[in-house]
Amino acid sequence: MNLAFKDIRYNRLKFFGSTLGVGLLLMVMLTIGGIIRGIILDSATIIEETGANLWVVEKGTLGPFVEISRIPQDYYHAIQALEGVAEASPLVMAWEHITRPMIPTPLMKFMYMNTVLGTKTMVEPGWLDMPMDQRFVVIGYKPGHIGGPPIIISGRGIEASRYEIVADVKTGLHVGERLRLGNFDYTVVGLTRNMVGFNADPVIYASLNDAQDILFQRDPDLLRNERVRVESRVLGAATGAPRLAAPLSERARSLAENVRFLNAVAVKLQPGASPGEVADAITRWKHLEVYSAARQVNLQLMGSNRLILLQLSVFRLILLVISGVIIGFIIYTLTLDKIKEIAVLKLLGMQNWRIYRMILEQALLMGVLGTLIGALLEFAMEPYFPRRVEATWGDVVQMLAAIIIVATLASLLAIRRAMKVDARMVLGT
Amino acid sequence: MEYAIEAQYLSKTYGEGRTRVEVLKDVSLAVRPGELFAIMGPSGSGKTTLLTILGLVTEPTHGRVILDEENIYNGRRPDLQCLRREKLGFIFQLANLIPFLTARENILLPLELIGITGKEARSRATELLKYLEVADRADHHPEQLSGGEKQRVAIARALANEPKVILADEPTASLDTERGLSVMRLLRKLSNEKRTAILVVTHDTRMITEVDQVIHLQDGRIVDTG
Ligand SMILES: Nc1ncnc2c1ncn2[C@@H]1O[C@H](COP(=O)(O)OP(=O)(O)OP(=O)(O)O)[C@@H](O)[C@H]1O
Ligand SMILES: [Mg+2]
Repeated sequence: MNLAFKDIRYNRLKFFGSTLGVGLLLMVMLTIGGIIRGIILDSATIIEETGANLWVVEKGTLGPFVEISRIPQDYYHAIQALEGVAEASPLVMAWEHITRPMIPTPLMKFMYMNTVLGTKTMVEPGWLDMPMDQRFVVIGYKPGHIGGPPIIISGRGIEASRYEIVADVKTGLHVGERLRLGNFDYTVVGLTRNMVGFNADPVIYASLNDAQDILFQRDPDLLRNERVRVESRVLGAATGAPRLAAPLSERARSLAENVRFLNAVAVKLQPGASPGEVADAITRWKHLEVYSAARQVNLQLMGSNRLILLQLSVFRLILLVISGVIIGFIIYTLTLDKIKEIAVLKLLGMQNWRIYRMILEQALLMGVLGTLIGALLEFAMEPYFPRRVEATWGDVVQMLAAIIIVATLASLLAIRRAMKVDARMVLGT
Repeated sequence: MEYAIEAQYLSKTYGEGRTRVEVLKDVSLAVRPGELFAIMGPSGSGKTTLLTILGLVTEPTHGRVILDEENIYNGRRPDLQCLRREKLGFIFQLANLIPFLTARENILLPLELIGITGKEARSRATELLKYLEVADRADHHPEQLSGGEKQRVAIARALANEPKVILADEPTASLDTERGLSVMRLLRKLSNEKRTAILVVTHDTRMITEVDQVIHLQDGRIVDTG
């Protein structure tokens, strides 16, 4: 006769109610872990999926994911020619935004309501009617080279040389949709997934030329003004040397118009090539900085994302302690509720190990079921978060191990108390 | 075998110094198989304490207990848990059935503890339930039983392991006179038919009509035997 199961069956409401409580706490624990992993993955995915060994950027900068880096476009040919380099892919990437009418979701309203309570003056009245700026990262690459969208989940990749884009699903764009970026209209030909910048701004892929137009081509009117201004200054400076005036003005015009630079060159090495030697060769020869892929990821995790990651980790730690204490208490009190039955069982002469087993079986079953419930709820909820949340079965196993320890300790403490109970409690008055 | 259980010069003190209380002083008694033995006395006289010592739950400060010819508190330490499940049966003031087990399962439990399971256990349980006239309640949980029914199931449980000695602390206190008397008559019948030594604590004089022996405790001493 298994007393643990008989007890659970008889007191199912209490047992499964408590188990649900444990499960919900574990769900929160798993979610916060998933949020942290989501931020890390958001920082790393583009770099990882690009598959480059080295990232070449402007000297003195940290690279395109963290700050602006500009290098002349033709450098990539030279890098390509270096020994040990299999592929040098020219890339541009920068932020761009489109302005859309605001369609406030209930979540958005909820967020604003909460903000308004504390910081009234910082929220403009009528925010619901204001247009919304949607930011994303534009990545320009040469189709056929590394740095493009790793998977297409609907539609196709970029085939025409101009005016086609592939967007991450999180942009909310659809295949076939047209939108104006910079001075031209572009057609969404395909969608990809999980490609976002470190701030979770979703990515739009375009051909290198298109991306340079979108990101660096300024307004034609502005450009004309600029050209006139530069030209007149150069001509003014050249009054002393009239022969130089024409070539100088030509050079000035091209400077003002020149948009043909890159933000980074992604370098894939030949098998067996030494990353250190290639990096040395590049830095020695040009005014450039070279980072390994891991270092590029780390620059974000330990740079721009460091504080938010630490912030969430502190929160996670607090949650861990609180959940541990609460779950411990739930199991402890559940066992102490049985103190009278334990005393009777002792008087009936039941062996101590059988009493321990009965209590431990229940506590562990509660831990295992709670973890399972928590995991399933967490996995079911992940897609509804605005940013990527990714808990793994590894997390679940870790959680299970922790919960087994907590459950065992809590029930052992409780049984120890229960075992000391005076037989007087049940025997008589 | 003369006595089912014997107590020799039992004394028990709690606490030390100013809080020291001598709850039992030199209590000796002996009960034969088949005897119904009543322990009486006012509140606080040490009745429950005596019973917990006889039930091998509390260790006496001095003196010894001899259960079925085995000397318990005599240097070496026998497995008390094992002695309890094999030789003792308890009946409490409140039936104290295990709430999540049915009446039948409450009786099967002590049988399982001494290794009797399966068909034999089930037929013994059924027999006991019939004997105590609660067979029709076999599959009910304790909370569905009346006070008297619960107490009869508890008595069946105490009988299940065919103990040498049954210890009952105020088994009639939570019942009305009528039912209380019927429980006493039942204990009388049990000790006669099953040759079990039964010790009953009570402070209700109406309940001691059919007993073989009575002791009266006062301030931890036996003041009267009859
Ligand atoms: N653990 C303990 N520590 C100190 N004193 C105790 C302890 N247990 C019992 N006593 C004292 O021992 C005395 C006898 O208690 P006991 O429970 O044996 O009395 P009783 O005869 O069963 O009384 P009642 O009829 O009220 O049930 C009481 O004065 C009680 O306060
Ligand atoms: Mg008492």
